[in-house]
Formats: sequence, structure tokens, C-alpha cells
Amino acid sequence: MSTTTVADVHVFGVRHLSPGGAYHLLQTLDRIRPTAVLIEGPADATSEIRHLVAKGTKPPVAILAFTDELPVRTAMWPLASYSPEYQAMQWAAKNGAEAEFIDLPSSIMIAMDEQYEHGDRRDKSLGNPDNLDADADADADADADADAVTADVESTNLADPEQTEPSKLPTETEQHRSEEPDGGHDEGQDDNTKHPLDAMYERIAELSGEPDYDSYWERYYEHQLGADSYASSIELFSTELRQWSEEDERPFAKRAFAYHAVREAYMRRRIMETMEAGHDPARIVVVCGSYHASALQISEHLPPMSDDELKRLPQRSTRLTLMPYSYYRLSSLSGYGAGNHAPHYYELMWNMMQKEALHELPHYYLSGVARELREMGTYRSTAEVIEAVRMAQSLASLRGGTQPVLGDLQDAARTLLGQGELSVVAEPLARLNVGTSIGQLAEGVSQTPIQDDLNRLLKQLKLTRYKTAVAAELALDLRENRRASSEASAFLDLRRSFLLHRLRLLGIDFAKKAVTRQDQATWAEQWVLQWSPEVEIQVIESTLLGETVEVAAGYRFQQRLDECSTLEEASKLIAIAIQCGMIAQLEPARRVLQRLAVDNRDVLQIAAAAGELSRMIRYGDVRRVDTSPLVPLLEQLFFRGCLFLTDNCNCKDEVATSMMGAIHELNVISQEHDEEVDGALWLQELGELMRRDDLNARLSGFACAVLMERSAIDQQDIASEMARRLSPGVPAELGAGWFEGLSGRNRYMLLSRLSLWQQLSDYMDGLEDEHFMRALVFLRRAFSTFSAAEKSQVAELLGEVWGIHAEQAAELLTGELEEKEEQMLDDLNEFDFDDF
Amino acid sequence: MSNTEAWNQVLRQPAEQLYAHELEALKKADKGHVPPGWSMSPQSVLTFITGGKAGKVDITPKYIGNRRLVEMAIATLVTDRALLLIGEPGTAKSWLSENLTAAIYGHSGLVVQGTAGTSEEHVRYSWNYAMLLANGPTQQALVQSPIMRAMEAGGIARFEEISRCASEVQDALISILSEKTISVPELGQEMQARKGFSIIATANTRDRGVNEMSAALKRRFNIIVLPAPDSLDTEVEIVKKRVAEIASAYELQAAVPTDDALHKVVTIFRELRQGMTLDRKDKVKSPAGVISTAEAISLLTNSMSLAASFGGGEMTDEDLAAGLQGAIVKDDDKDRVVWQEYLDHVMKKRGAEWRGLYQACKELNG
Repeated sequence: MSTTTVADVHVFGVRHLSPGGAYHLLQTLDRIRPTAVLIEGPADATSEIRHLVAKGTKPPVAILAFTDELPVRTAMWPLASYSPEYQAMQWAAKNGAEAEFIDLPSSIMIAMDEQYEHGDRRDKSLGNPDNLDADADADADADADADAVTADVESTNLADPEQTEPSKLPTETEQHRSEEPDGGHDEGQDDNTKHPLDAMYERIAELSGEPDYDSYWERYYEHQLGADSYASSIELFSTELRQWSEEDERPFAKRAFAYHAVREAYMRRRIMETMEAGHDPARIVVVCGSYHASALQISEHLPPMSDDELKRLPQRSTRLTLMPYSYYRLSSLSGYGAGNHAPHYYELMWNMMQKEALHELPHYYLSGVARELREMGTYRSTAEVIEAVRMAQSLASLRGGTQPVLGDLQDAARTLLGQGELSVVAEPLARLNVGTSIGQLAEGVSQTPIQDDLNRLLKQLKLTRYKTAVAAELALDLRENRRASSEASAFLDLRRSFLLHRLRLLGIDFAKKAVTRQDQATWAEQWVLQWSPEVEIQVIESTLLGETVEVAAGYRFQQRLDECSTLEEASKLIAIAIQCGMIAQLEPARRVLQRLAVDNRDVLQIAAAAGELSRMIRYGDVRRVDTSPLVPLLEQLFFRGCLFLTDNCNCKDEVATSMMGAIHELNVISQEHDEEVDGALWLQELGELMRRDDLNARLSGFACAVLMERSAIDQQDIASEMARRLSPGVPAELGAGWFEGLSGRNRYMLLSRLSLWQQLSDYMDGLEDEHFMRALVFLRRAFSTFSAAEKSQVAELLGEVWGIHAEQAAELLTGELEEKEEQMLDDLNEFDFDDF
Repeated sequence: MSNTEAWNQVLRQPAEQLYAHELEALKKADKGHVPPGWSMSPQSVLTFITGGKAGKVDITPKYIGNRRLVEMAIATLVTDRALLLIGEPGTAKSWLSENLTAAIYGHSGLVVQGTAGTSEEHVRYSWNYAMLLANGPTQQALVQSPIMRAMEAGGIARFEEISRCASEVQDALISILSEKTISVPELGQEMQARKGFSIIATANTRDRGVNEMSAALKRRFNIIVLPAPDSLDTEVEIVKKRVAEIASAYELQAAVPTDDALHKVVTIFRELRQGMTLDRKDKVKSPAGVISTAEAISLLTNSMSLAASFGGGEMTDEDLAAGLQGAIVKDDDKDRVVWQEYLDHVMKKRGAEWRGLYQACKELNG
């Protein structure tokens, strides 16, 4: 093969996710009419191309590669309708050309990525970029060709066995996922984000007078629709960029440099193979990141990768799947600004370009903002849209651009349509920039193991018909169906419940829990099921946690357990384990809760956790879970609750209400589990709380009420307690507060004791005017929760005490207020509480 | 007395006088397209406001901080739209408006100063009543408002504090802005605006005594909200620059405050304004009054003049404390408590560098 023909291969450098790139690429393809279109993307995903261009597939979609054993690592290649790569595939399909991915297969890419990251971390810890590794010498030869560099990477890896050890922590895997979702896809530039490249992007923007790099790019590249200006300017840009970064990389970031070199050598190999397969080099088009464009021309200095070199590259076993993607993800997970911070805007641009009407983009965009605003109820006139377009254009001309970029449009929208306030237009802008589009895959396109597993489970549990976009209700009865023939069907609903709870744990929004009609019935559950593309994405992402729903849920549970740091969270996790039917996870969760309980002195938290446990112990059997291991834990929590009760009751009134809830919770437990927990201690502590004067008066009153209810205090004691609390000289707020606490419990008990009301009446009589006003405020609050019937009973009682006719008193208490009385109450409103 | 000397005696020179040489240099070096009615290209206006170089002359930055906002303001004026600058007191609204006008039109003196007493005549036109009675309505008897004069000359009129005028008076602008004419029925004439005419209005939306602007009027303005400086360093820079300028204009005989003093004052102001310490760890109560950057500037010049007149010419912590006391404690009782709290909870814990200032403030606040 002569070099002249090799040089005829057309390499088209693009920016990923760039409408301008797609536009020019299509024109080039139409001109050259290639027989083979080679695209930068994982070579092992070539077989997926036919699914990607299938009729039922709607971008945004992504190719997901993941390792099939722990630690899970992933790489993702998202594609939008305006991706040059996607358009190239479409073109090839329509014109009968062959389309192929030619970048390193995902197995090698992920393995190298992993080592790269390990190495990078190690370099950093050494803190000396000049002397990274043992192979510094091997690389000393500045003109090292790609071969040497390839070998270099390998020797690095071989020399450092600890790097390949599969001992990564699961959390790191998770972290990796969120940090670098599209690891391999970008032009390789993202591989050096820690690198001065970002700073240089900023510098470019600054020099061109643009607020950010995206604006720079859009103004100088996306808007260049002239046939040659785009290609030539992008070529110049990337050549310069490459020179600059190579100078910087060679000495300081050898790994990044080597990584690119390996990828490029592999791509050259694939180009060579394509030529050998009989394609005319002049009719081969290579679509790649512009950064790589200059390195893909095969020459003496840049030979294709040899078989031997290929064999020596590291590998991890990976699997590939396609997944629907969403614009939201595309924008929020963008690793570096590959023009995907505003996917919907770029789609709009792409649509305009196809209509050859790019100059109308501002009109559509700003009208869109106005329309969104009107839908939200803020009226904006067409005249304002017109002015906004004019302003955006004038902003663009200040910069010497041909037409406004996104930043100009946003500023114009803010000034005109938001009348200066960004907050007014923020939501419409977000909708127009990001959009809500979600991709779709054609039926029957490859699935991940967890999708298979879920489908199998849905079928097994007869839930398949709920897999629609229409929300449907599902009522479950967790009890055994005694008429069922087999054990499996007898507990069908229970197993359904386990599955739905597991999906919830995994963050898969297929099923939402609805409020049950019988709120105390623990055997009934009400669900709302709805399938959506977002759910599909969530399921696929769960693949990374495990191959089946059960394994993934177990893994996720462990993660949450590791992060758990509060009693409340731990007790919730125990509940989740039971709800999900994950018996194996119960014990570790129990241990975590126990560990946390030992150091906790907050009765509110203790009571909440104990309450949760108590409910599980009482009703756990409906889920056929053995909850007996939880009993000692409940005993312990309850015991601690008793011990710290009085300490915690020395609190302000704001906390007292939740404290009352906690006391109630513990009291219920002491009654429900009287065989297990120390009920005597509880009553003793309540007695202490009741008698002490230095604690919150409301809580003391509440304790008194609880003791009354439990008949743990005799008539005599109640009377003397009341007399003491409501004696003259006790500050009004304490006395009335105490009464408020007392009335916060069983009212019938109060209403059945005339002597109490006698005492209250005497107390009120004994108050001076000033104190009476204060007491009134508290008492009014205490009685505000009484029902009308209860109030009239109070009236009756007081009437009896005062010797007034009962009905008369009731009329006064429940009737409408007269004007004069209203006035008096208004005066009370101005009462100065500052002294309290 | 020559003209320049006359200007030197003026208490405060207008921007076109103060920066006359810069404007001259910019015009000379200007290569861009000059819109009709403008004295230089939009790019040069931008340079004038945000600073840079024109030929060999250094252009000082007039508005520090958000360059993009200035661009938006200029772009607005290029499209012959009226510009409305909104912001809290002391966010350099008028300053920006004056400098924009000086650069674009070369004369920043066509001003309507909005007050509760501003009437429609101030916006449109009024009459010289002696002449009106003597000769009836004639061209000579017509007293043009600054806005009308700007229309005639194709220049820019400024409307200061527009929100302090009654809403009805503000609305007199509606038809002027959409039709770009003022009709004078008494003379059977219409005054048509020439190219280059525009209005820059400033408004304050959150102060006592301001009136709501009608939607119809707002719609005719491009509205730009000027924020308080977004970082400590920007604010220090602004204060430093203005204090030096004012000191030389008033010939204050005191040394310019040290960076340390500037830093302290701006820190205190920012914390009180935001209601929390700069590290966002502690909540701080804000005083009732406005504590703007402009206030920090006047505080420092105030302290300088104290130091010059009654001290040794070096600004001491006592001078600074006196200034702070005056700037922060406006509503006697409540602000005093707020200031007290700030002193004891925040400043006291700041360590040795702040000790002197703390003692001085503490003594004054009593």
C-alpha cells in the first residue's frame, strides 16, 4: 500500500455534541460519499450501531460499558441527535455505508482508565511530577514514538502489581461513577482535567473577551456555517492546542500523553484494517475528536498498533449495553464543557441548521422564554420579545459575532423578559436550555442482567401489566392467602411488597407508596405503579450495584449502613431491611443501631428509634421475619430512655411538644412490651419528672397526666400536686403551663374530677390582675385544643363550682364573641411577651 | 479666569471634565463603527467604563466588578432603548449613568432629579410665564425640560431616582419613549427626537418613599439590576480607588488609609449587610439602615478628615471607630445593640490585629 493512498483517508475532527460539527460532517459525507464511516467510540460497540440507528431509537441514548465483576467501573458514551457521531451513523445507514467504532474496546479502555487513575493518585501523593515512576528514564527520549510510549505504559503497569489489585473500595466505585460518568467519551481532554487545560480554556475565553469558554466556542465555531471556515479553523485550533498540551504533557503528565498515544495507535490500526478490507482510502471518512485528528494520519512516525502491542494492553472483562438517556443527565453530568450544558438549546440550534435558518434561533429561543413565562402566569408582550432579540443581537455585535450566543440570549431575556431579575426567567431558561427530553430504545435492544432479572421477577409476581406509562394502583394484602394452593401464591402479595420495597431502596421510581386507608393496618399496603424512561435509566444504573435486584439492593443497603450516623437513620434501616425481606442484612443493621445507641443521650431520638423497633417487633411477623433479635435492643433503648428522661426534660417550651411525643412513645412501649422492658423504672422516672420543680412545667404536668392514666398515682397525691403547682406565688406561666401539660393527655380523666376544677378556679381567683393576664394566655392555649363538647363539659363543671346554671356558662364559653370581648382579646395580642 | 480654572473650583466635576483627557484619547484611538449620535464606538465606551488602554493613555476603570452588566447597558443604548438601572442605595447607579452619558454623548448634565415634588413639566416642558402672558405661546416662551433638550440634540438625558416621582409623573415618559416625540399643542408643533436620543434612568426599589413603577413604563426600559460587589476583594478595590480620588479632590491632608484599615471596614460592612460572618459560620444581626459600599467610602473619607483636622494626619483606630459609629448606628437604640453584639461576638474574637479597633469602638458605643 502506498502512502499516497493512505493520505487520502479523510479525517474529520469534531467536537462531541456539537451541532455545527454535525452540520459540516453531513456536508462532507455527502460530498465524499464514503463506503466506510469510522467513528471514535468503543470498537466492541460496533454491533450496537444498528440498534442505535434503528427506527424506534430516539436520542439521547448512551452506550454504557461496565465491568462484570467488582470493583465495578463504568464508561459511558452519550449521544444526542446533534452528535456528529450519531449523524454519521445515520448517514451510513441511509447510504449503505459501513459504520464502525474504532476507538479502544471498552475492556481495554476501562482497564487503562483504572490504572491511569491509580497512577495519578500515586503521583499526587508523591507530589513530585518530575520523577513519577521508575520508567522516567525509558521516556527520557523526547522523540519517543508511539510504540515506545505504548510499551512504556505497559511496563509501568507490570512494574506496579499493586495497581492491578482488585481491592478498590466499593464507595470509590460509586464515587467514580458520579465523577466521571462519561470517562472515555470526551476528546481525551477530560482525562487531564486536573491539568492546566482547564485554566487554558479559561484563558482562551478571557483573551477573546468572552465570559466563558462555551460562549467562545459557540461564537467562533458553531456559528461558522461557511463550508471551509469551520474545518480549517477547527483544525488550526486543535493543532495548536495539541502542541501546547503535548509540550506540557510529555514531561509532566506522561500517563495522559501515553493514554492518548495508545488510543490513537489503535485507531490507526483500525483504519488500516478497513483499508485492507478493500475500502478505497479516498472513500473512508474518520470521525473523531478534533484533538486526535492530526494523529490519525498513518505515517512512518505514526504507525498503526501492532498485534503484539495490542496483546500487551491491560484488559478487564466488560459488558456493553445501550440505555436511554435524558437531557437532564446530559447537562448535569457533563465532565467538561463539551457543549452539552444546554442540550435542548443545541437541539434547537441543530433543527435550525437543518432548515438553513440558524439566524432565526434567537427568535425561537426568546419567544420560547416568553411562552414559558406566560404559561407560568407572567405576561410578557411580543414587543418585549422583539426588543430582547434586538438587544441580544447588539450584544453579539459588541463582540464582533455574527449572531447571539446562548449567553447573549440569556442576558437579553433577563433584561427584557425578566425586567432585570434573573429569578423571573430562571425556570423558563432552564427549560429551554436543558429541556426534559428522554431518549428511547427500540424494542428488544440489548439488556443488562438486572433488567432481565427485574423482568423475570415482574413476570413471576404477575406485575408485568403494570409496566406502562399510565399510573395504576396496586393494593397488597400481606397476610397469607389460605385458599391458595401453593406456598408461593399464598404469599404473592408479600413477595410483591418485598420487590417494590427493594426497588425503592435502589432509588428506582417505579412504585410509589400511597397512603393506606387503614393507617393502622400493617398488613395492607397501597402502591402506585408507573413505568417511565427515567425508571429504565435508574434500573440500568443499578446494574453497577449488582446483577440482580436482590444483590443490588443488598449492596445499596450496606452502603447506607456504612454512611449511617444517627439513631433515627439506623432504626429506619432496620425497618427497611424488614420491609425488603432482607433477613441477612438485619443483623449488621442491628449492630449499627446498638453501637449508635450506646453513645446517645437524646431521648427524642431514642424514643423514635425505640418506637420504630417496637412496631417492627409487634408486626414483623406479618412479613414472616423473626424479630426476636431486636428485643434486647428495644430493652436497652427503653432503659436509656428512662435514664435520660429527666435530663432531657430540662428544656424550653419549643422542645417540650416533641418531648411530649417521646414520652408518649415510651409510655406505649412500656405498656405493649411490659414483659420485656422495665416498666417499674419508667413509672419511677415519670414520678420524678412530675415532682421536680426545676424541669419544664408543661412536661411535669404531662407526666402527671400519664401517671393518672396509668393509675400510678392516687387521688390524694393528685390533689396535693395540683395544689402545689397552682399555689399563689407560683409564676403564672409555670402554673398555667403545668396545667397545659396536664390537659395534653386524656381529657375525660380531667373532666371526671370535679376537685381539680375547684382547685383551678381557686387558683385563678387568687391571681392579681397582671398575673391573671399572663395565666390567661397560657390557659387559652391549653383550652384551644378542646372540642366544643369538651368545652361545654368544662363549663358545666365550672358552673357547678361557681354555682351558676350550666347552660348559661356553656353559652358564654362556646358562643360568638361580642365586640367588646373581641376588643379585650385584641388588647391581649399586644401583650408584651418580652419579659417571659 | 480660564475655563479649566473655573472647573477646578467646582466642588464636584462632571465625568466629562474629570476624565476629559481619557475621552479625548479614546476618540483618537477609536477604530470601531460609531453609531449615529454617539461620540465614540460602543467598544470604546466599554473601555472607558471598565478600564484599559487607548493608544498610550491608561484608562482608569470607572465601574469595577461586573463587566458583563456594563456590556448589557451599552448594548441597550445601541438599540436606542432606554436604560433603567436598579439597585440598592450605593451600588453606583448614578455613577455608572453619568459615565455612560459622558462617554456616549459627551455631556452628562441633562438631568431630571426625581423627587416627590417632580411634576410633569419637569419631564416635558413648561413656560416662561412672563413671556407667555406678554406674547402668548411662542417658541421663546417655551422652557424645555432636559429630556426635551436631549431629544433636540440627539443626546442622552438622565433621570435620577425615577421611582421617587409620583407614578403619574413617571408615566409621562411612556409616550416619549415609544413615540420618541413630545407634542407641544400650544404651538401646534411636535418635537421629534434625533438619532442618538435615549434616557438612562436610575431607581431604587427598596427604600422608603419610593413609588411602584407601572408595568407599561417598565416595559419600555431595558432593566439592569446592579448588585452589591460580589467579593471582598472587589469591594476593597472600589473603596480604595474612590477614597483616593475623593481625598485628592477635597485636598484632604491625611494619609490615604492603609490596606489593613480598608480591609477591616469592608469586612465589617459586608458582614453586617449579609447578616453573617464572611466564613458563613456565625449569624450576625443587620442594622436597620443601609450599609452600602458608598457608605464605606464616605466613612473612610470622614475618618481621614478627622485625622487631618484634629489628629496627626495618620488615621488611627479612634478615627476609624468614630466613622464606623456614625455609619452603622443610625437608629439609636436598636442599631446600638446590633453594633454592640457585633463587637462582642464577632470582632472581639478576631484576635490581636483587631484589638485596637475593638477597644476604640467599644469605648465610643458605650
